[in-house]
Amino acid sequence: MIQIRNLKKRFRNNTVLDGIDLDINEGDVVGIIGPSGTGKSTLLRCIDLLETPEEGEITIDGAVYSLAEHDRRQTLALRRQTGMVFQRFNLFERKTALENVMEGLVTVQKKPKEEARMLAEGELKRVGMYDWSEHYPKHLSGGQQQRVAIARALAMKPKLLLLDEPTSALDPELVGEVLETIRDIASQGFTMMLVSHEMNFVRKVANRVIFLDGGKIVEDGTPREVFDRPKSQRAKDFFAKMHLLKQPEYTI
Amino acid sequence: MMMQILSETNLFDFGLVGRQLPELLKYLPITLELALLSMLIGLAVGLLLAVIRMKRIPVLRQIAAFYISIIRGTPAIVQLYIAYFGIPMLLKYMNLHFGTDFDISAFPGFACAVFAMGFNESAYNAETIRAALSSVDRGQIEAASAVGMTYPQALRRIILPEAMTVALPGLGNSFIGLIKGTSLAFTCAVVEMTAQGKILGGRNYRYFEVYVSLAIIYWAVTIIVERILKFIEKRLELPEQIDKKAAAAEEPEKARTFTKEAKVRYDTNKKPEKAFSQ
Ligand SMILES: Nc1ncnc2c1ncn2[C@@H]1O[C@H](COP(=O)(O)OP(=O)(O)OP(=O)(O)O)[C@@H](O)[C@H]1O
Ligand SMILES: [Mg+2]
Repeated sequence: MIQIRNLKKRFRNNTVLDGIDLDINEGDVVGIIGPSGTGKSTLLRCIDLLETPEEGEITIDGAVYSLAEHDRRQTLALRRQTGMVFQRFNLFERKTALENVMEGLVTVQKKPKEEARMLAEGELKRVGMYDWSEHYPKHLSGGQQQRVAIARALAMKPKLLLLDEPTSALDPELVGEVLETIRDIASQGFTMMLVSHEMNFVRKVANRVIFLDGGKIVEDGTPREVFDRPKSQRAKDFFAKMHLLKQPEYTI
Repeated sequence: MMMQILSETNLFDFGLVGRQLPELLKYLPITLELALLSMLIGLAVGLLLAVIRMKRIPVLRQIAAFYISIIRGTPAIVQLYIAYFGIPMLLKYMNLHFGTDFDISAFPGFACAVFAMGFNESAYNAETIRAALSSVDRGQIEAASAVGMTYPQALRRIILPEAMTVALPGLGNSFIGLIKGTSLAFTCAVVEMTAQGKILGGRNYRYFEVYVSLAIIYWAVTIIVERILKFIEKRLELPEQIDKKAAAAEEPEKARTFTKEAKVRYDTNKKPEKAFSQ
């Protein structure tokens, strides 16, 4: 069980998150949608303490972490519970795919090299990138890089996996493989918060969708509730703009 | 014709230029030691200064800026003299004040020279290193934080290896400058190659020849160091192409670890645009 309480973040006079409360059950895949600039990335970054909010706390499995006030030890403790997948992959350029995945296991979890290697290889297999173990990021396509980045995050066994538009920096033909990988891990019971503009994908993979606007959660429910019967005008307008309703069902 | 005049008039002794080389080369190790040790100090302190400026650490940042400004604003030869006369004075003061027991007479000029040149070097390296550190994409640093690494860990494991490739040419140049700069170490009573040259010249008043010999040696050393740097640069380059793992050996294993569901991926992968387009 993960509880986020009263998360408030502003940049100067721009209030981006205005008291977010969110309870997430283990194994939930929470899709986060909303207009551009509405604070979706900021929400994830505050949870991972890449930004420091003014107020807010998070409880993960009973352990309470203040998001606003944290010393170095607390910061690391929280980050070790969470994993992040970035829009632009952010792989370590001078490390191979395997080394990218091993890095946290060796440096942070202090696992022996051999064990780390085995675990990392397992994660690369999970995302179908084992054959590319020895490749450096510059040798990989965007989609492949993102799959390695997912493996890197999963290797740390995070209690909560944060994905910030994992496919929006990809060429259209590479989007599929990454979405498929995410769908895979979602079905394996990882708890995730997924920011995405791929509405059909969110609808399929998430068991809960929240619509963020004006610093608040405007819609919160199952994909059906949010996509098919949005309560707020803002969400209706947003979906209308996305031409979502005209789109064919997502198929696999 | 020119050669004839030179040798007949005994104006320039060609042979001596070559004959003196071994005598001078005996002092090359001292020159190189001076340069290497100073460079080590220059790199360590330079990195420290660079990180302080990068991370904008209060107080330390102002001290660093002040330090760099002083070093850059004074001639190296003056710094060497200050070290040579100042360090023994400092030790003497500490002996008197804290009851320590440094043997001042035993404190070698060599160490003074290394300190002075090392700290001088650090001020210049700081800027090169800072520029290289900030050239590393922020995303990688965030990713390192996100997996739970501390800043020192990220610095050592992620940032420095990448920054090094950027800083190498600049640091290499300043090392070459440092090798030649060691000829100032005479100020600290160190007999390195140039000082030995002066001694040789003083014996037979063949100063011109001895400086030509020295020029040849410094030039040759510089060329060798440049070669070594090129080699290191090459070594640091990532390979152009990489083989996939032997697919045959891995295929059965892959099949085992993949779920049935995941297999569908292979089919959908071929037409992902159909499967996922909005
Ligand atoms: N470092 C910053 N300084 C000032 N303002 C910022 C900063 N980072 C984000 N913002 C502002 O915070 C708001 C939310 O940004 P955020 O990136 O979280 O939006 P988003 O919902 O992820 O948008 P998108 O869908 O375009 O990615 C924006 O108005 C943005 O301008
Ligand atoms: Mg965003």
